[in-house]
Amino acid sequence: MIAMQLLINSLIAGAIYALVASGFSLIYSTTKIIHFAHGAIIAISAYFLYFLYSILGLNFGFAVILTIIFSAIAGYFSDFLIYKPLRKRKASSIMLLIASVALLILIESIILILFGADVKTIGFIKIAKGIEIFSAIITPLQIFIIVSSIALLLFLFIFMKKTKIGKAMRAVADNKEIAEVVGISSEKIFAYAFIIGSFIAGIASILVGLEQNIEPMMGTNLMIKGFTGAIIGGIGNVPGAILGSFLLGFAENFGIWFLPSGYKDAIAFIILLIFLLFKPEEILGIKKESKK
Amino acid sequence: MIEAYLMHLAILIFIYLLLAISLQISMGFTGLFNLGHIAFYCIGAYVSALLALNGFPFWLSFISAGISALVFGFFIALPTNKLKDDYLALATLAFTFVIYAIALNWTSLTRGPLGLPGIPRPSLFGISFSSNLSFLFLTAFVTLASLFIIKRIVDSPFGKVLEAIRDDETAARVLGKNVFKMKSYALAISAFFAGIAGSLYAYYITFIDPSSFTLLQLIPVLTIVIIGGLASLKGTIIATILIVLLPEPLRFIGFPSSIVGPMRQIIYALILLLILIYKPKGFYGKVELG
Repeated sequence: MIAMQLLINSLIAGAIYALVASGFSLIYSTTKIIHFAHGAIIAISAYFLYFLYSILGLNFGFAVILTIIFSAIAGYFSDFLIYKPLRKRKASSIMLLIASVALLILIESIILILFGADVKTIGFIKIAKGIEIFSAIITPLQIFIIVSSIALLLFLFIFMKKTKIGKAMRAVADNKEIAEVVGISSEKIFAYAFIIGSFIAGIASILVGLEQNIEPMMGTNLMIKGFTGAIIGGIGNVPGAILGSFLLGFAENFGIWFLPSGYKDAIAFIILLIFLLFKPEEILGIKKESKK
Repeated sequence: MIEAYLMHLAILIFIYLLLAISLQISMGFTGLFNLGHIAFYCIGAYVSALLALNGFPFWLSFISAGISALVFGFFIALPTNKLKDDYLALATLAFTFVIYAIALNWTSLTRGPLGLPGIPRPSLFGISFSSNLSFLFLTAFVTLASLFIIKRIVDSPFGKVLEAIRDDETAARVLGKNVFKMKSYALAISAFFAGIAGSLYAYYITFIDPSSFTLLQLIPVLTIVIIGGLASLKGTIIATILIVLLPEPLRFIGFPSSIVGPMRQIIYALILLLILIYKPKGFYGKVELG
């Protein structure tokens, strides 16, 4: 059944995009920074895992933990070194956006110099035999990716609703000034947002690195998809971003039923453009609220 | 040998200068956050290359490159004019991706990743511009003429309205200016010059493929515009020379070419980040971005 296979492929793609979009969206909702370099954080973390596991030969579990820590630290420093000084001198959002694109290119170029342009495989999981579900094929890793993506959604939901940091992050997202009046340091919360968002990026880097080959420009590609997912779901809304990512996965995989498969990536770009051009209210709505 | 190398650099400087001053029209003078400039450049390059390869004369493919970019610029402005600030930036950025994806996937027209080789060097009024020296003269002429025209545009009453829109859109509207129309014109004119820059690039390199029109190419152009300073043509000229020449010593240090490319990107990205943080108005800028 082609439809069943496409359905499963959509779920896998959607889960990967959701992993990218959720961290990105979490950072955006709190800081209002369109952190494109989030994609590059995922890419460099995947290379970090490759370096630890495939080159140094570290124990896989240990390498995974170090990778997630590395990712969170890298995210923290991108805020501390780039965005924080820009915020301090009240840079406009467009300057932050350009800075994030520059940071994305910077990190990707560093990867290119350190590891070269050729694709690498982490190769922890030997090519596993797919399991057949209704005559469609899915590998155990792919099931794991889908499950972790859903688990992450639940974790984020609970984290934002129940924990002190999560509540503070929502308060800052709602209204920075009032949050500061009641004693929440917005700078501290911004740092938390980058650390937690990049922690998710670390998890994404591991799952993507196991499922696909890694290459220096993977960050841009993942970011466009994750960003499109986030835009579809309403950019500052984490559950929305995850849902949007799954919708994008479906649109891409069912889209190539009608279009040549080379256009798979173009589908995301076109959806992104349409949403930005014709449905800006949803995105703008969030902005208005933050300005109140 | 050294003459050939210097000539190559001079041609690159003129092409980049044309691209940067054309971005100044939308970004610097009108305050539109146009991150889609590489897309217009790409459209110009492909239109011009396809026409040239099918035997159309230089002047026709050159003008068509500009006009088709202009049309795209005008139409992208229609819906994006409702969008302000960073949403315009995102929409134009997405436009870059769409154009790139089309160049990559419309293989029957663009040959996709294989690119379009063998673009003939131009000739005009019986004069052939096949040598690099003659091409340098052609590029210099086109760029300086464009610079002259752009200077006339920005100094004209129309240019003053654009700057008024940038500085205070509401006030410009209250004064009865059709802001929407003016912004569309600005983006279209900006795209036109990017399109002819793309045409010059295609004629010069004689080969184009989609990889020449990615986000990577946007960074040096943005860096030039921001270092030189928004709405400063003088700053743009100085910054272009600086930015094109800056990574050149890398060639002589003896790095392999696989390192030189990314090194150049690192230099551009770092300069851009530093200038955003420490000197956001650039060196000759009148206004800050945003």
